[in-house]
Amino acid sequence: MPNKSRAPKVYSAGYKRLTTPTSVMAAWDLSVTVEDLGADAPPVTLSVTSDLHVGGVILKLVEKTQIQQDWSDHALWWEQKQMWLLRTSWALDKYGIHADARLFFLPQHKPLKLGLPNGKTLKLRASFSSPVFQTVIAICRTLSIRHPEELSLLRPIEEKRKKKDKDTREELYDLTDVPHTSASRPCMYNGMPAHFMDSAQMEVVYKMLSVTQPPPAPEVVSKQYRPASVVDKAHINGRWLDSSRSLMQQGIQENDRLWLRFKYFAFYDIEPKYDVVRLTQMYEQARWAILLEDIDCTEEEMMLFAALQYHISKVAPSEQQLLASTTAMDNLESALQSLEVKLEGENSSASEMLDNMTAPELCDYLKIFRPKRLTLKGYKMYWVKFQDTSISYFKSKEECFGEPIQQINLKGCEVAPDVNVAASKFLIRLLVPSPEGMNEVYLRCEDEQQYAQWMAACRLASKGKSLADSSYQGEIQSICSFLSMQKTNSNGKTSSTDDSINTYSLVSPRYHKKYKAKQLTPRILDAYQNVSLLTLTDAVLRFLQIWQSLPDFGLSYVVVRFKGSRKDEVLGIAPNKLIRIDLGVGDVVKTWRYNNMKQWNVNWDIKQMAIEFEGNINIAFSCITADCKIVHEFIGGYIYMSTRNREKGNTLNEELFHKLTGGHEAL
Amino acid sequence: MDDIDAMFSDLLGEIDLLTQSLGENTDPPPPPVPRADSAVNLSIGFTDLNESLNELEDNDLDALMNDLMADLNASEEKLAAEIEGLKDPSAPKPDPPKPATSAPSPRLPSRTPSLPSPPSPQSTSSTVTSPSSSCTSPRPPPQSSKPSKEEIEAQMKADKIKLALEKLKEAKVKKLVVKVLMNDGSSKTLMVDERQNAREVLENMFEKTHCDCNVDWSLCETNHELNLERLFEDQENMVEPLLAWTRDTENQVLFKEMPEKYEVFKNPQNFYLWKKDRKTLKDMKDKDKEILIKENFCGTSIIVPDLEGVLHLKEDGKKSWKQRLFQLRASGIYYVPKGKTKSSRDLVCFVQFDNVNVYYGQDFKNKYKAPTDFCFVLKHPQIQKDSQYIKYVCCDDERTLRLWVTGIRIAKYGKTLYENFQTSAKKASLSAMFSSSNQSTPSPTIKAKSPSQANGHAPPPPGPIPQDFGGIPPPPPPPPPPPPPATVHPFPLLPSGPAPSPPPPPPPLAAKSSAKLPSKHRSPSNRLPAPPSSVDPLPPPPPPPPNEEAPPDFLPPPPPAASFPPPPALSSMPLPPPPALSSMPLPPPPALSSMPLPPPPALSSMPLPPPPPAFNLPPPPPDPCFPAPPPQVFSGAGGPPPPPPPPPPPPASLGPVAGPKLAVRTAGSLKKTPPAPPKRITPSLHGGGGGGGGGDFMSELMLAMRKKQGN
Repeated sequence: MPNKSRAPKVYSAGYKRLTTPTSVMAAWDLSVTVEDLGADAPPVTLSVTSDLHVGGVILKLVEKTQIQQDWSDHALWWEQKQMWLLRTSWALDKYGIHADARLFFLPQHKPLKLGLPNGKTLKLRASFSSPVFQTVIAICRTLSIRHPEELSLLRPIEEKRKKKDKDTREELYDLTDVPHTSASRPCMYNGMPAHFMDSAQMEVVYKMLSVTQPPPAPEVVSKQYRPASVVDKAHINGRWLDSSRSLMQQGIQENDRLWLRFKYFAFYDIEPKYDVVRLTQMYEQARWAILLEDIDCTEEEMMLFAALQYHISKVAPSEQQLLASTTAMDNLESALQSLEVKLEGENSSASEMLDNMTAPELCDYLKIFRPKRLTLKGYKMYWVKFQDTSISYFKSKEECFGEPIQQINLKGCEVAPDVNVAASKFLIRLLVPSPEGMNEVYLRCEDEQQYAQWMAACRLASKGKSLADSSYQGEIQSICSFLSMQKTNSNGKTSSTDDSINTYSLVSPRYHKKYKAKQLTPRILDAYQNVSLLTLTDAVLRFLQIWQSLPDFGLSYVVVRFKGSRKDEVLGIAPNKLIRIDLGVGDVVKTWRYNNMKQWNVNWDIKQMAIEFEGNINIAFSCITADCKIVHEFIGGYIYMSTRNREKGNTLNEELFHKLTGGHEAL
Repeated sequence: MDDIDAMFSDLLGEIDLLTQSLGENTDPPPPPVPRADSAVNLSIGFTDLNESLNELEDNDLDALMNDLMADLNASEEKLAAEIEGLKDPSAPKPDPPKPATSAPSPRLPSRTPSLPSPPSPQSTSSTVTSPSSSCTSPRPPPQSSKPSKEEIEAQMKADKIKLALEKLKEAKVKKLVVKVLMNDGSSKTLMVDERQNAREVLENMFEKTHCDCNVDWSLCETNHELNLERLFEDQENMVEPLLAWTRDTENQVLFKEMPEKYEVFKNPQNFYLWKKDRKTLKDMKDKDKEILIKENFCGTSIIVPDLEGVLHLKEDGKKSWKQRLFQLRASGIYYVPKGKTKSSRDLVCFVQFDNVNVYYGQDFKNKYKAPTDFCFVLKHPQIQKDSQYIKYVCCDDERTLRLWVTGIRIAKYGKTLYENFQTSAKKASLSAMFSSSNQSTPSPTIKAKSPSQANGHAPPPPGPIPQDFGGIPPPPPPPPPPPPPATVHPFPLLPSGPAPSPPPPPPPLAAKSSAKLPSKHRSPSNRLPAPPSSVDPLPPPPPPPPNEEAPPDFLPPPPPAASFPPPPALSSMPLPPPPALSSMPLPPPPALSSMPLPPPPALSSMPLPPPPPAFNLPPPPPDPCFPAPPPQVFSGAGGPPPPPPPPPPPPASLGPVAGPKLAVRTAGSLKKTPPAPPKRITPSLHGGGGGGGGGDFMSELMLAMRKKQGN
């Protein structure tokens, strides 16, 4: 890029001019404010010549302050020009510094408050002098998040000042003492980056990073800012920091608050084993996007998201413990375990085969109702036998060795709960397919226990599994736990106690108005039955998958005005394409794919982007809700993301990133 | 008349082999219920098996085996007797059995909870096919120190237990005999067991038809009552949907090319960029297509084409159709309610895909007064008749229909669809390579190769099932001249397409086309005799037929299933195999045992020899296997290829290989011997010798079992 090549040129030219004339240059006074001396301390004045290099200035400065400390992280900041003097071998002249320059001598790494996708705030030291891209890489290294190129920093949305007092009391996780390693990958110890093992405190931080948070209280959700329109959503994208400039250059001060978020929705190479923190934070970001309706979904999808959240919140604590204990034993243990599993697996070929053939059964008196058939008769008590995937019912227990009144195979049927704990109503509604259509059958249970057993059996049977299936007990438990949730919901209306979950916490506020909690519960339960047996990781992955398959996933909006058009329109930037959205209708008017893109240019003066696609298609637009640079960086960033591949390994091609996104420096 | 009788008995024998099932199925069990019952019965009896098996002395185990065997024989005899009865009255058709059994659908005749069949071919197949449980896992265990004597004994015991269990398990496996209609009006009959997926069945069809194996070949089911048609996805289990058919159904299974099956991977732009103009779509570069596929199918989650449009929906119970604005999402199909926006949150869910399949509707304009004939239907696979639970949707044009049906399949099956395509494409390119080199294989149509010794299967004779069966019988005549290796194809072809046809009796059945399933029980005894007698009439018992066609139908299924790779190999390199075989006649056995794949090819390649040996030397094979069947099985799975001592010293070079195979079959037909497939045989020998890998595996198994008991 031009800028890259220009710097050296300047350098060599200056060098010649300054060094060849060996004549003594005039000395002049340079005043430098040393931050470490305190805010009120007057600037230190040094006598320098124009050919003194920056390193020399620093040396003089340090000597003059007479403070013994590690100055290695300090550097000079030129306030008027908003730039760091990081090239210590450059002479003042080369930088163009004269006596009127206001210089500051301060550390390059300063504490920063970082809002994480999970809503927690972390305090850590970040580089204020390197391009944000590098700063993010360093932060991610500290946090143990792979593929930092997918994340970036943005200015948070101001919160209403009223609550400010509360906010300051908010818990801060402090990581400022963590040394900066330049190792590309932190060494792992027991599945945790080593620096998190230092103290109990650090382990707490790691837990916060790697374990999903419990569902937020519904009040918290409803108080948060929710974008109401595409234009609202577009505004957030005006907040992204410029990746090619430093924090300091962008006006960020020590202890300022920034958000760390996934910015490019092209998640590469997700590997649950190494991506614990990454996946957790990704899940949190997705969850909040759903709860705050940052991304739209249908009601069915919302219920599934709710079910997954519920499941994740339930499994997360226990599974995390498991993880902690097993990681301690690590490889050896797991090797032994897998060996054992293998042996048992083989063994099971014999014993399991037997088990399969001697499937357990479930028998009891239940009330059965077949809406279509016996409309008038209502529920009637039968002796019901559940075996394999079928239920058979008899008049009484004594007759169970004869022919059943009817046998119903539940494979492929739909199972719906109809439960009201308070009213002691435990109904299982079955929709059983037959050649003629679907037949409705209701099973009425007496109590929770019975209901859980039969419900679990019905669910397994509908998937073609018998009672012998290993998931049966788990299914019973999850049904019980869900029932208890309903119980607490109906008893105490405010279920903000820790051990129960309010279903309102799982859905966006829109549904708080639309449904009562007790209406919501069965719907979520319905969706829950398909996910109740997932492991934590699988559930998180599933959540992410569903999120990613939403039609609007990965779209970052910017309000723009197309050349020749007089109205505002919205440009949607997706991982593989740009879309033009008509604000009036909300429809996608046009789509351009990156792989058809020939080139794009930015006219920084009139803040206009011009893009040329194959087939002589040219578009140009000016950006309204975000800086051109942000849009430019989004597009270049996605193109960069698409260049990643396995052969190149995991090393980041930083240069390429800046080439593709750094546009303004080219000027 | 004699001929017919002979053929019939052959048929019976063959069927026997296939489904050694039994007894009960002759009775008219309605599909679902009976199955369950029989399974139940079985399981009850063995409730305590687990413990008791271990307590048994070896003698006892042997006795158990014998009992199982005896049971089988008894039931077979019973069947045979019944069949005899049936046979007399009517012509030798498979029909009789069908009616008698009142099998549900003609096609699905025997879903037989087969009795614990001895290591019949079937069982073998089962062991092979069900890698999940036993066979596959065993492989890993590397060989370790030599087992001590006790260990060996323990192993033997464990082997026996395991074998017994396998048999029990096998007994529960449902199998259907399915008649598949070809695009030329002919049909093929094959046995499908419940563990097979559509891909495996397709592979069988490829072998039988010698088609070009391109990715468009599909198996479809039609629903006559509703005018529906749907292709089976490759990963789909075949038996289950077929069992949903009603007893008197006229539904059919078709084997034909369906370009839309994987069109989305050939021209993804037509689905993912469907809004673009036609020219852009047509000129799409291959590179861009690849990118599209990668974007939509290779990411962390698959992306469903963003379909949205007005479709016509048939109103419940009425013949009127109303328009709605539908939207396809990964989670289902939605529509925009009247007066609402298209915003996601306002969408109303029309259907989710968990419990429904998508079908093409045919001639709906007539049948349901649809606005056009481009209709699709969403329904639970078990629903077979018109019902309020069926959703009928009508599109304006064919392109829209394709878009939606494909979109729904993508949403429903996700990545699996792409994986299926990759598998199919691999197979297709392999076979294309070979065919291009050979030029022997006519691609597209499944033409029965003209001459072939028709087992009667392939030949187009409209003849339905019966014919097929008839075909089978042609017990390979004794005089199998040395098959020309090079000309493999020719052989495979059923030259005698006509020959098979002779058994036209079936035609009537054919009309029904549907199925031939009923229990084909042939008394083994019949079987044996039959071959000899029948032999004469039929021409050179098409060597290929035995392997490829007849046998394949029934027995073979498993092999292909087990070894995916192999099939392709076979089809792809028809010629090569034979030569190889011919060159090294003796070695074959070992090879077989070691590598599952090879066998099939071998068989197909050397058709002639096998038959003769089999007939002639039936006894040898069985005997060897009998004693030590279990070990065989295991070793077969993972063991090193033992020396191929197999009995058949026979003639021609090919002889040996074929011999074992045939022997197996024969054995099966005899029913007395638990004919072990070739693979097994070797193992068995091996086992006796000194337990190679198999032994190790067993010892591991024993250890594991002990451990478990300890717990």
